[in-house]
Amino acid sequence: MGRVIGIDLGTTNSCVAVLENGQPSVIPNSGGYKTTPSMFAITQDGKRLVGHLAKRQAITNARNTVFAAKRLIGRRFDSEEVQRSQELCAYEIVRGPNDDARIQVGGKTFTCPEVAAFILREMRRVAEEYLGEPVGEAVITVPAYFNDAQRQCTKDAGKIAGLEVLRIVNEPTAAAMAYGFNRSGDEKVAVYDLGGGTFDVSILEMSEGVIEVLATAGNTFLGGEDFDRRLVKHLLEGFRESEGIDLSGDAMALQRLKDAAEKAKCDLSGRERVEVNLPFIATGPGGPVHLSVELTRETLERLVDDIVQGTLKIVDQCMTDAGLGREQIDQVILVGGQTRMPLVQQAVAEHFGKRPHKGVNPDEVVAVGAAIQGETLVTQDDNLLLLDVTPLSLGIATFGGHFAKLIERNTTVPVAKSHIFTTTRDNQSAVKIRVLQGESDVAQENDLLGEFVLSGIRPARKGEPEIDVSFDIDANGIVSVSARDLATGKEQSITVNATGTLSEEEIHKIIEEQELYEVQLKE
Amino acid sequence: MRLAGQSAEDESVLRLAPGCDPAHLSLSPAEGFLLSRIDGRTPRGVLRRIGALPPADIDRCLERWLEAGVLERVRASARSAAGAPPPAPAPAAPALPALDPSLEIGLELQRELLDFAARLDRSYHEILGIAKDADERAIKKAYFAWSKRLHPDRYFRRRIGPFAPLVEACFRKLLEAYELLSDPQTRGEVQARPVRAADAPPARRSSLEARRRLRERVGALAFAARATEERRRKAKSFFEAGMAAFAKERWLEAAGAVRLAIAFDLENAVFRERFAEVQRRAHEERAKALQKQAEGALELRDFPQALRLFEEAVHYRPADPELAMRAAKIAQALGELRKAKELAAHAVELAPDHAAYRRTLGLVYRDAGLAANAKRELEAALRCDPSDAEAKAGLRGL
Repeated sequence: MGRVIGIDLGTTNSCVAVLENGQPSVIPNSGGYKTTPSMFAITQDGKRLVGHLAKRQAITNARNTVFAAKRLIGRRFDSEEVQRSQELCAYEIVRGPNDDARIQVGGKTFTCPEVAAFILREMRRVAEEYLGEPVGEAVITVPAYFNDAQRQCTKDAGKIAGLEVLRIVNEPTAAAMAYGFNRSGDEKVAVYDLGGGTFDVSILEMSEGVIEVLATAGNTFLGGEDFDRRLVKHLLEGFRESEGIDLSGDAMALQRLKDAAEKAKCDLSGRERVEVNLPFIATGPGGPVHLSVELTRETLERLVDDIVQGTLKIVDQCMTDAGLGREQIDQVILVGGQTRMPLVQQAVAEHFGKRPHKGVNPDEVVAVGAAIQGETLVTQDDNLLLLDVTPLSLGIATFGGHFAKLIERNTTVPVAKSHIFTTTRDNQSAVKIRVLQGESDVAQENDLLGEFVLSGIRPARKGEPEIDVSFDIDANGIVSVSARDLATGKEQSITVNATGTLSEEEIHKIIEEQELYEVQLKE
Repeated sequence: MRLAGQSAEDESVLRLAPGCDPAHLSLSPAEGFLLSRIDGRTPRGVLRRIGALPPADIDRCLERWLEAGVLERVRASARSAAGAPPPAPAPAAPALPALDPSLEIGLELQRELLDFAARLDRSYHEILGIAKDADERAIKKAYFAWSKRLHPDRYFRRRIGPFAPLVEACFRKLLEAYELLSDPQTRGEVQARPVRAADAPPARRSSLEARRRLRERVGALAFAARATEERRRKAKSFFEAGMAAFAKERWLEAAGAVRLAIAFDLENAVFRERFAEVQRRAHEERAKALQKQAEGALELRDFPQALRLFEEAVHYRPADPELAMRAAKIAQALGELRKAKELAAHAVELAPDHAAYRRTLGLVYRDAGLAANAKRELEAALRCDPSDAEAKAGLRGL
């Protein structure tokens, strides 16, 4: 039987792990790195590059290098997040046929699951090379706060990459699994996960091999890249003031600034001040102009302080949902590269009144947890069980634009619930079921997962027909809905087909096409 | 967890004697609890373990009630067929499956699941198997313990047959019980109240059955457990799909499907054997497609692109010296001498006696300034074909 791998598909970096003889190990890629940049590029001569190779050429080929595509997956083109991304990315984001966001590079348009699949395929290859056998199954992690569409798209990506996705696991939960693996005793744990592009917090309780998620909260558009962006903006403004040159329209200069900002940010975790030197960044009236400034940790902290404070508000909301006070938390686990920043560590420590746990590697722990969950599933290990929750409330839009929640957020999954609805007009023959996910009472302020029509309702006075709507959330957090007229027995059901998810046919076509390019990916 | 002793006595099953009204008995709450769990299905060993009394006391009670004619023994053969006993008519519970040793689920666990399922319409405390005054800790403990047996993950890919819908229904009820009991506000409300009454307002009762059926179907779909055999079956279906594609000469699709089949069933020698063949064809198809693209690029005089495509084609059809040679010549023309040397050497290796290949390799060496190697290859070319004018000219120029 093939091995199950755990893949942490990150916004900036991805990581793959496997369990060997009961011990988790993180698999290094051929360059010896345990994480691989989640980047994809098409070179001038049509070559497709993934990972470190893509990152290395990003400066000279910014327009055809895709980074942080995870921020776009499963989102509508018109959404605020996509629009915001568009301003920041050198590559082009275009509207897809289903109003989804697609990526245009090298003269070709890719769906977000396709781009994610390039990364997943690379991770699969890394694992196969290490294990010396084909790998067919994986557990893939997503931010806990991902909605149904984002999860579906991630699952599609796995399929395109030739993987059977056993489970989609929430990142903080995976981290907690890695922490709780081979550890006994009762504990309440908070996981603070600040990655490249997303922020999650989960409160969990562990006892006798059961890991129960009490509550989870987050923001899928907040992460380390926001820190970089603040720094880039700071550098841009400084340069404009000192040199009178605006670099914000220059894709190549922006890419250099972005790289320099990221590096400076990381360096400032260990040092008080760093030099940023970017020679020949622009050409002024008097010839070439260089950017050379000193950045201090204090400056960086001032620039991002409100972001860090914002995460603590989300932590508080999550604690309230879990019904716990800060003093009841036994252990705080930091996950994600951005938690290496002293300001973040200090803020979290002060907030909980205790020092965070030091024993886990914030870049690798999520992949390790995913591998553990995969192994636990296929070996039917009954010593470890995960009770996870759905992060967002689920329901349908009702008369007057209200949102009727059928499954509240933080409900343990898998869960199936049903509710009876009725008509609002006499002799109404059809109802439209609009499935929503979110927390607002106003229907249109929530994410629309999909809609379908139940027709052929027997004529009756308003309020008389009984329409039973059943919701089902599986252990992956993926939703299916069915509606049934109890009088006629007529039934409609959908696996909610949300924005950007692909049909079987589309997936198959993409798989064929990618196979053709496989040799290039292997370079 | 295991039963203490698997004696015949532990295996025996009791039920309430027909016509006996237990309300006449004078019982302590714990004894009442024990009596409430006698349902004509639960074996004595299980009763002894999950009752609210010490096992010895439970035995004493059971013996006393048997003597008094309150209880009677159920014959083993009749047990699995026994319907719901009088005190626990369970309209909302699905028909309970019989014990089945062929399932991938231990008999003991099957019994525990049946035992749980049989009390789905009891009070939430009884469902969790805890005392009415159990505190939060005890409630959580019971919830965790039952989760380990009822969560669908526990049966991931296991063949559990009729237990699949049962486990699913039980897990849902477990969640419901825990949700209500763990919240101090609702705990008081549901205390000791039978579940059925709390399930839905009376006006909806008529539709309850329909809703339940619907839920069951949706749930069973979502939680369908799979087993090792199913894994093989899946491998087989991938393989068959692969072979079907193979028959239709869709080699790439065939190779992808067979690759997946192997991933699902690594031990299958047939798959591996066929894979070699399928992959060869798939590679040939790719090589052809790439070669065609390469010719197109040549026509457009896009030499770097043509070289890249030819190189790739060589990767997929490594045994074709002519292909390697064409790539080598383009590389040479582009000044990519290292590449040209590798490709030409590859062609020479495949056809050592081919004068033109030797000559090309020699000329590449010459371009690279490696005179000794160039001389060796050009001389070899002349040995293969003494009339090769280009080779002669090359040698003279060295």
